[in-house]
Amino acid sequence: MKYAFLVYGDDSAWVDLSEEEQAELRAQEMPRWMTLFDELQKADPNLAGYELDGRDTAKVVRVRDGERIVTDGPFAETKEVVGGVFVIDLPDLDEAIRLASLVPTAEHGSLEIRPLVE
Amino acid sequence: MQVMALLYGDESRWDAFSDEEREAVYAEYRAFAEEAGIEGVIVGGGELASTRDATTVRVRDGESLVTDGPYAEVKEALGGYFVFECKSMDEAVEYAAKIPGAQHGAIEVRPIYVDPAAEGAAS
Repeated sequence: MKYAFLVYGDDSAWVDLSEEEQAELRAQEMPRWMTLFDELQKADPNLAGYELDGRDTAKVVRVRDGERIVTDGPFAETKEVVGGVFVIDLPDLDEAIRLASLVPTAEHGSLEIRPLVE
Repeated sequence: MQVMALLYGDESRWDAFSDEEREAVYAEYRAFAEEAGIEGVIVGGGELASTRDATTVRVRDGESLVTDGPYAEVKEALGGYFVFECKSMDEAVEYAAKIPGAQHGAIEVRPIYVDPAAEGAAS
């Protein structure tokens, strides 16, 4: 069964950091991300992972009565927004929960696991 | 650049559809994918199962907390995604506006982060 892991985190602190500070934080967390990537790769060599740019880069597009309406910022007004997505083929939900728990963001944000429709 | 399009829509609308109505929606999506796909724009995508089938995991003080249901109970939920390979955000917006779900829901487009170090290695 394919699952999507939706990585929800509060990026408001992150976007205020300088590029150097972001690079430093990234380097600090990197070993734990590498452990995660190893585990995910072992579980499904064909997994896909996407890290999204900050919420300030988001645009929302709607079409109503043929008119296009484009607004800046993310769709959700919540404190935590989707910051990344993994798509991975796994035997069952228990394995999905085990792997989702390894995502560093799970320690301060939330990981939503959703099966994909195949 | 790669851009993720996140498709938000009202699940209750979909739940209320007959099989024929659902098939009509899938046909619209196939037509969209054919149009965008021809130009090599869609490089990934998927449809998510209902938020009723969601599980949310948080880790606090080393403990995994697992709850049934989505991260947030919202009227319009994330229901699918596309990954576009395109030249600019303007182009991504063009394609997003052609996604059938844009007619009643909302499409969020966000650039996919590319590690500058990784990109340097690839070029």
